Amino acid sequence: MGPAPAGAAGDPEVMEPTLEGTGKEGKKVSSKKRTVAESPAEGLLQPVKLNRAELYKEPTSEELNRLRETESLFHSSLLRLQVEELLKEVRLSEKKKERIDAFLREVNQRILRVPSIPETELMDQTWLPAGVRVPLHQVPFTVKGCFRFLPPVQVTVVGSYLLGTCIRPDINVDVALTMPREILQDKDGLNQRYFRKRALYLAHLAHHLARDPLFGSVRFSYNNGCHLKPSLLLRPQGRDERLVTVRLHPCPPPDFFRPCRLLPTKNNVRSAWYQGQSPPGDGSPEPPTPHYNTWVLQDTALESHVQLLSAVLGSAPGLKDGVALLKVWLRQRELDKGLGGFSGFLVSMLVTFLGSTRKIHTTMSSYQVLRSVLQFLATTDLTVNGISLCLSSDPSLPALADFHQAFPVVFLDSSGRLNLCADVTASTYHQVQHEARLSMALLDSKADDGFQLLLMTPKPMVRAFDHILHLRPLSRLQAACHRLKLWSELQDYGGDYVSAALGPLTTLLEQGLGSRLHLLAHSRPPVPEWDISQDPPKHRDSGSLTLGLLLSPEGLTSVLEMGPEADQPEAADFRQFWGSRSELRRFQDGAIREAVVWEAASMAQKRLIPQQVVTHLLALHADIPDTCVHYVGGFLDALIQGLKETSSTGEEALAAAVRCYDDLSHLLWGLEGLPLTVSAVQGVHPVLRYTEVFPPTPIWPAYSFYERLRERASLVPRPNKPCPAYVEPMTVVCHLEGSGQWPQDAEAVRRVRAAFQLRLAEILTQQHGLQCRATATHTDVLKDGFVFRVRVAYQREPQILREIRSPEGMISLRDTPASLHLERDTKQLPLLTSALHGLQQQHSAFSGVARLAKRWVRAQLLGEGLSDESLDLVAAALFLHPEPFSPPSSPQVGFLRFLYLVSTFDWKNNPLIVNLNNELTVEEQVEIRSGFLAARTRLPVMVIITPQDRKSSVWTQDGPSAQILRQLVVLAAEALPVLEKQLMDPWGPGDIRTVFRPPLDIYDVLIHLSPRHIPRHRQAVDSPAASFCRGLFSEPRPSLLMPVLGYDPPQFYLAQLREAFGDLALFFYDQHGGKVIGVLWKPTSFQPQPFKASSTKGRMVVSQGGELVMVPNVEAILEDFAVLGEGLVQNVEARSERWTV
Amino acid sequence: MVARKRKRAERDAESLPSPPGYSAIPIKFSEKQQACHYLYVREHRVREGTNSAWPQKRTLFVLNVPPYCTEGCLSRLLSPCGSVQSVELQEKPDLTESPKEPVSKFFHPKPVPGFQVAYVVFQKPSGVSAALALRGPLLVSTESHPVKTGVHKWISEYADSVLDPEALRAEVDTFMEAYDKKIAEEEAKAKEEEGVPDEEGWVKVTRRGRRSALPRTELASLRVLEREKRKRAHKELLNFYAWQHRETKMEHLAQLRKKFEEDKQRIELMRAQRKFRPF
Repeated sequence: MGPAPAGAAGDPEVMEPTLEGTGKEGKKVSSKKRTVAESPAEGLLQPVKLNRAELYKEPTSEELNRLRETESLFHSSLLRLQVEELLKEVRLSEKKKERIDAFLREVNQRILRVPSIPETELMDQTWLPAGVRVPLHQVPFTVKGCFRFLPPVQVTVVGSYLLGTCIRPDINVDVALTMPREILQDKDGLNQRYFRKRALYLAHLAHHLARDPLFGSVRFSYNNGCHLKPSLLLRPQGRDERLVTVRLHPCPPPDFFRPCRLLPTKNNVRSAWYQGQSPPGDGSPEPPTPHYNTWVLQDTALESHVQLLSAVLGSAPGLKDGVALLKVWLRQRELDKGLGGFSGFLVSMLVTFLGSTRKIHTTMSSYQVLRSVLQFLATTDLTVNGISLCLSSDPSLPALADFHQAFPVVFLDSSGRLNLCADVTASTYHQVQHEARLSMALLDSKADDGFQLLLMTPKPMVRAFDHILHLRPLSRLQAACHRLKLWSELQDYGGDYVSAALGPLTTLLEQGLGSRLHLLAHSRPPVPEWDISQDPPKHRDSGSLTLGLLLSPEGLTSVLEMGPEADQPEAADFRQFWGSRSELRRFQDGAIREAVVWEAASMAQKRLIPQQVVTHLLALHADIPDTCVHYVGGFLDALIQGLKETSSTGEEALAAAVRCYDDLSHLLWGLEGLPLTVSAVQGVHPVLRYTEVFPPTPIWPAYSFYERLRERASLVPRPNKPCPAYVEPMTVVCHLEGSGQWPQDAEAVRRVRAAFQLRLAEILTQQHGLQCRATATHTDVLKDGFVFRVRVAYQREPQILREIRSPEGMISLRDTPASLHLERDTKQLPLLTSALHGLQQQHSAFSGVARLAKRWVRAQLLGEGLSDESLDLVAAALFLHPEPFSPPSSPQVGFLRFLYLVSTFDWKNNPLIVNLNNELTVEEQVEIRSGFLAARTRLPVMVIITPQDRKSSVWTQDGPSAQILRQLVVLAAEALPVLEKQLMDPWGPGDIRTVFRPPLDIYDVLIHLSPRHIPRHRQAVDSPAASFCRGLFSEPRPSLLMPVLGYDPPQFYLAQLREAFGDLALFFYDQHGGKVIGVLWKPTSFQPQPFKASSTKGRMVVSQGGELVMVPNVEAILEDFAVLGEGLVQNVEARSERWTV
Repeated sequence: MVARKRKRAERDAESLPSPPGYSAIPIKFSEKQQACHYLYVREHRVREGTNSAWPQKRTLFVLNVPPYCTEGCLSRLLSPCGSVQSVELQEKPDLTESPKEPVSKFFHPKPVPGFQVAYVVFQKPSGVSAALALRGPLLVSTESHPVKTGVHKWISEYADSVLDPEALRAEVDTFMEAYDKKIAEEEAKAKEEEGVPDEEGWVKVTRRGRRSALPRTELASLRVLEREKRKRAHKELLNFYAWQHRETKMEHLAQLRKKFEEDKQRIELMRAQRKFRPF
């Protein structure tokens, strides 16, 4: 599974506008085009041909070495090449490095030249010039102490740039400025005094540097999102503006702070000062301020960390590359940004730790480093057993347990006093663990292209989590902090109520969601940048807080939260936790327990129980009303809901149809009086694999609405009434046992089959009183309001159709269209249907995803080009091969991934392998892939391989064509960002149905249909408020007449149009209530052609330049459109003049 | 629009352009339509010596018959030229003998019509020449002979598709009777020939006889070959001699090289497509 090439999949014309924009990208277009053009055969892989001499020449020792190295250090040679290419892409080139170095030297000089100012009171900030504001919220404002500016005593580059592990784009260079000792006073560690001075220091620097023409922009930002620690961002002027960002971090002189004062158990922010009251006289101990202490400690340790890292990584290129890979891995998962992100620095430290424990060796390759770190993350739990880089056994050092008390995740640096993971929340860490586990499983499975999935596939939150919820406005969290009694935390975090509330909130929700939840993740507040003349952004300005819920499908089915027995002490806790929702219930085993019951009747509602839980708990415990909680989980459900029900997404209706089918198959099994016994009954209709977009409902026709054919016991539509309801019979294949009595001649077999169909109808009517109607190829059976179409099949019939007798009397078997078609319908389709039926039992969201996907493709008018089965298989692939995600548990996320898969899959060079029932082994898959390349030209444009169909891709043989597939890819690529944006920003304008509305401006002709004769009018994406009566009762009634089956005028009309004008135009229509048929003329058939008797269809002869040529008779054809669809067609709108000849 | 109309007026003024050998007859659905389709007609002729089902001289060959025009319509439209004996609509021009036996409506449902070609046989040759001189425009649907299209047509087609099971049963029975008879005859004949040498003394061995032979199918012969191959492979010793060992090693290396080349190509392609930009 690899993303498709941008140039190959998307139309180059379509892609271009997106590439414009900034000047830099614009410049690259030309070079990109050139490289694409040079690639062999328009991006198509060719089978490699090497001559014998090359293949069997004596190997050089160099070659042998490389091969051996590849074998021992990497997974495969392809992976090695891929990793090398990726590193080339993200690494900084030498040329750029030189430019950055030059810029850094300049920066250094400018900083040292900033003039000093005399000493003033800290609170007296009048000396600050007008154009600059202090980059810190000074709350409370009163603080004692003095400040003066002196140039830094030392300017050192720290961080990844120095180590050579920084990755493009966004190169940051961290520079530590050691403030002179004269600026600081005793006890500056107390009550944010150090941070105030640090901010003022930066403000003065900013003022002077901003006037310098060297810098393109001078802005403030928070260091890693920490609100007490701003840093100054410097970017070069001119064309280098995006080359590099230099971040200035002031830090105290070494040994200024006494480390023992900054232990996690110590308090450095006095309540009296923070809350502005006189100290409480009761002598209660001050609460510890572990995070505050850590932020101070971090500044003191900048240099020692860099020294440690460069000692370990400096001489080991493999480790450096490994860190770079890990950074890519983290960034693809959006784990490295914001406060408490799992940053690249943390990973580097982790590599150092693993090096110190001999798990990583300096000679290891980048791939091995990646693997070891992932392995370590996946198997250890730092929330329980912290790790430490500190080797000394000094008894004065604090114990690990102290840290566990104060922080959720513990990873101590070499001093043994600083927790590197102080800001990392438990949720973030669990998310990292979860990702590492998934990635390890992926690396171990070996089947797929691990590189692409691991390092090249982005995992944005909306696509990775089943449900998303947004909390906004963030100011509500301030109230939540008070409700949750988080005063000491607020004191610790310096008033950052978002960070303070985050941990307790996630714990609360995790506890409430219990078994429904697999993983809860939160977005980290983004790191804003602001102009030096502005005040720093407020906490509530950082957008909204987004939580992602990964649901566990097993827990979703239950509507009950079982509590303890009523007389036990835990019962009180339970009542307190659930509030009014908790009630006493008596259970079947006699126990009387506290319990919470959620209202949910259908699968769709059960999937949304987490919403009820979340809103209830947030309102109860955190004082966040449900207007501030925007839960994004079921927005797309409306598109697959039936006409009248709003509570269910159709799973129940499908199950009812399947139950009826089961009853029928029992009847068929038990039939007596057939000359041959039934050997198998298999469903083949999409309903029977839960993928029909709109499930059938039992129908009870109102006879007065129809014409009656009494002698055939059937109903027929009336011309003067609106078109009756559309009833599609559900096809069932009924195999009869093989016998010598079957004739061995194709025509005779068909006659015998017809006789069986007649007999079947007779017996079913006689023995079970079912209404039946037989034709030569099928028997329609009406049962409980559902109509089934039973097709009798004979196992050997495809074989008979395939036999060809050569002149010498040798019988050979050759596939013919008829035999392939029959085999597909009676052999492969039942297998597929049962496999997907099984998949639905494992993954309850499959039905929803497959139906949404189908709905979307059809709504885009492309439903005709892509067969039902191929779309079902693509949806199945999302569940069977979810890597790098986990299988979707909600239709919403599944649909997003469907769009992603369709838009990025490289259909040209890869088959989509759907390993149903896990029948294909790894070796077989490898074989299929290599066989695919050799056979590429003979295969359809879209290749889907299943265990039952390893070579030919039967479900895509008849389409899509290359053009349709390209259109699909383009549409999916456009729909995905639009939909994701809507889901991530629910307050923005826009309607969730936007992506389901097709673009109509591309069509040459639009044929508008009259809703009166569209039986499925109400199924339209924008469902009409009212439609016509379709001749149905809503109540069950005995039905003696066969309803009108498969009568869909738009489909008849399309069949006629395609037959008559298929070689002149393409016709597009949405079968679910579409009111428009889009017509595209084929440009090739509009070329004037010389007269040929075999291709006069719809053309006329005109003389052009003295020659007689044939051109399409467009005016007459447009009138034919109206003639053929009389009654159905409202008007024909010719929109383009492209066809004027 | 105006320009187009003018163009059409010009076209109407001069004689209708038609390919050599054909003449053009405008045809439209009814009075209401503005634009016409054109039937291209000529006398049906075949080269000397080729057989044709259609009688020479009396048959009119018609191209570009619109989908709503049925056999009956065409017969009615051309009857002013002379009495029409038969009309046959086909998808493509077809020179060979067309199947004359009536096809069953149960087993060969009528296909959806597109543009077709027609062979119209007149009673007399004069009909053909009269038809070639027709000026039209012909109207398919008139007040007196309305032609159903659209919703009305689909409803009547739906009613027709509800078949009479008894008629189907009767047809199946007659067919099977004839088939059984044919099979019985063939079998009797085979039995007669069983073990009887022909004039050169050869005896035909069939599956039915006492000593049945292998079935003569491709599959069976493939199976025999496969079995032979397996037998041979079973006897062979692998990695026994030093050269064999050397060769296996070399083969392994060659495989690796091939794989490496393939990978390199893949990487080249991906690089060209900028697939290594992670973000």
